[in-house]
Amino acid sequence: MSDREFSVIIGPQHPALKEPASFLFKVDGEVVVDVEPRIGYNHRGIEKAMEARTYIQNLYIIERVCGICSNAHQTNYCQTVEEVAGIQAPLRANYIRVFMSELERIHSHLLWVGVAAHEIGFDTLFYYVWRDREVVMDLLEMISGNRVNYAMNTIGGVRRDLSKDNFPKYHKMLDILGERTKFYANIATHEKTILDRAAGVGYLSKVDMKRLCGSGPNARASGVDYDVRRDLPHLAYDEVPFNVITNDGGDVLANVLVRIGETIESVGMCKYVLDHLPEGPTREKFSPMAKVPEGEAVGYFEAQRGELIHYFQSRGDVKPYRYKIRAPTLGNIPSLVEKLKGGYIADIPIVLAGIDPCFSCTDRMVFVDEDKGKTWDMDGEQLRRYGIEWYK
Amino acid sequence: MSALDENVKVVERLTEAIGKENVIEVKTPRARRAFIRIKVEKLREAVTYLKEKEGITHLSTITGLDLGEEREIVYHFGAKNLALSVKVRVPASDPKVPSITDIINGATLYEREVHDLVGVYPEGHPDPKRLLLSEDWPEGVHPLLKTWDVNSLRKRVDGKEW
Amino acid sequence: MGLVTWARTRSPWLIHFNAGACNACDIEVVAVLTPTYDVERFGALLKGTPRHADVMVVTGSVPRKNAPRLKRIYDQMPEPKFVVAIGSCAISGGVFQDCYNVMEGVDKIIPVNAYVVGCPPKPEAILDGVVKLLKSAGY
Repeated sequence: MSDREFSVIIGPQHPALKEPASFLFKVDGEVVVDVEPRIGYNHRGIEKAMEARTYIQNLYIIERVCGICSNAHQTNYCQTVEEVAGIQAPLRANYIRVFMSELERIHSHLLWVGVAAHEIGFDTLFYYVWRDREVVMDLLEMISGNRVNYAMNTIGGVRRDLSKDNFPKYHKMLDILGERTKFYANIATHEKTILDRAAGVGYLSKVDMKRLCGSGPNARASGVDYDVRRDLPHLAYDEVPFNVITNDGGDVLANVLVRIGETIESVGMCKYVLDHLPEGPTREKFSPMAKVPEGEAVGYFEAQRGELIHYFQSRGDVKPYRYKIRAPTLGNIPSLVEKLKGGYIADIPIVLAGIDPCFSCTDRMVFVDEDKGKTWDMDGEQLRRYGIEWYK
Repeated sequence: MSALDENVKVVERLTEAIGKENVIEVKTPRARRAFIRIKVEKLREAVTYLKEKEGITHLSTITGLDLGEEREIVYHFGAKNLALSVKVRVPASDPKVPSITDIINGATLYEREVHDLVGVYPEGHPDPKRLLLSEDWPEGVHPLLKTWDVNSLRKRVDGKEW
Repeated sequence: MGLVTWARTRSPWLIHFNAGACNACDIEVVAVLTPTYDVERFGALLKGTPRHADVMVVTGSVPRKNAPRLKRIYDQMPEPKFVVAIGSCAISGGVFQDCYNVMEGVDKIIPVNAYVVGCPPKPEAILDGVVKLLKSAGY
């Protein structure tokens, strides 16, 4: 332990979405030695609130656990409650649910590519990607009426149907998305700006990732071959063909490649669903004040950031007895902590963004120089610029 | 159907490994799901068995619930074609459970969350600090217990300055 | 209108603060910066520090742990300052009313000048809110 070691509290403030969280870094010169995550700034007491609302009312509060994965939470809620209630959603409903989930995955990954580009100072790419992302936002708005929080699901099926007349337009929009994503894949692998900042940064081996129970694209970027859509099939994922993208790199560049690969796969899956959508009803009846029989169920779902798990216990009432939600980022924090150790301060923003956290940090960074007895502030914007300058 | 048998087989092997008298309840409601309730003294042994002999190392999360006289803690494991939930119960008068953080490193944040919300203390946890609740939240007030509802919680906590 | 006010209303620098939001409003706030909606044509820039900002854009239902931080960031902004509350959660707690950890509304902590309704409000609505705020400040 050198006498140049000091503690730094970081909350890179971001112009892009993220939940508030703060980290306490112990640094030795430029190198990070230890990290302590502090969360809880976004704890709203949702699980307790769900115990006081009926099943249909809960559809709307659970959508707003996270705005980017809103459909993932709602779909998982519906499939978990349906399992206990003994309802089987019709096949057409499950196909539409897959369609919405994959569209949400495209929107989230494109959003992330833009944010990661902003982190390394590549603002041009950020604006390009978000402009192209408007195509998928328009598509979502056409289908559901809102850009975010689509409220497509209900217990027993989906609330809105897809009309065949619009399919040619949807196909065209999906083609545009696929083509633009391939263009970004090309940039990510050849552009020197990105390679300098992302290759070899924030590395975590496959063994460590499994030990720390990471999941999602973050884990697949370290070579862990676990995808809930294939390993614990649900909805219609056993009928829609897709590839699971993994990469052995383990660093931020691998994260970029895995996410871009998944976006291209999702475009393919959406087109498959449009071509093979079965006829039939879109929902089973479930009355608003229905009681769900006693029982329990575990619902697994592959959200954009990783494995989403819901656990539900019912006591035969109109309200749930206990509903537990574990969002993917909580599971990815231990592996994030390991990735940050041993790296430079200048790498903190990109590694943090690399796991695609649902974080927005409020605290600002305070430097303490114990030798000189000075303290000074540096906020997230300056930290980001510090990182860009450091790498020049 | 092989997927349905897999969950039954894993549960049978786990029962044999920790001893039939330590298993209180087993449920395999459908393919790829299994729920097993065991005695809390055998928790660490069961988790070690799953990790070393079955290769099930991915802990998805830990749930805590309030059953009145007892508190139930559920450990959810995810693997290929199997979602296994291992349950234990502890008395509400002495709510503590052995920590499994040294066996499964990824359990650290989940155990802290259960302690914050349901009041079950993970014994042997390397850093059992508060995770979710604010610094000035009173000790011993665990929001997810059935004895609290939103109004009584607010009355209890709001008296203090934040 | 004096030169200073004219200069101020034509370059409102924003700071965005997430007080426990679900991120839906936050991504719509970021979308307002992108070329499709482009708030920069009004002179607005998104800054990272409250000390450079004129307008604070707040989202979220303000959980208890977050409330002192919100107040601190507001105090660090120099006068004259404005606050825009975006989304139903920032106005009244939104869908999270009756949750034990939620303060139910940003105006319980700091004074608010403009409210933009929606869950989340569309980027066009956020633009409308910012422009109305500038008009009321003398744009």
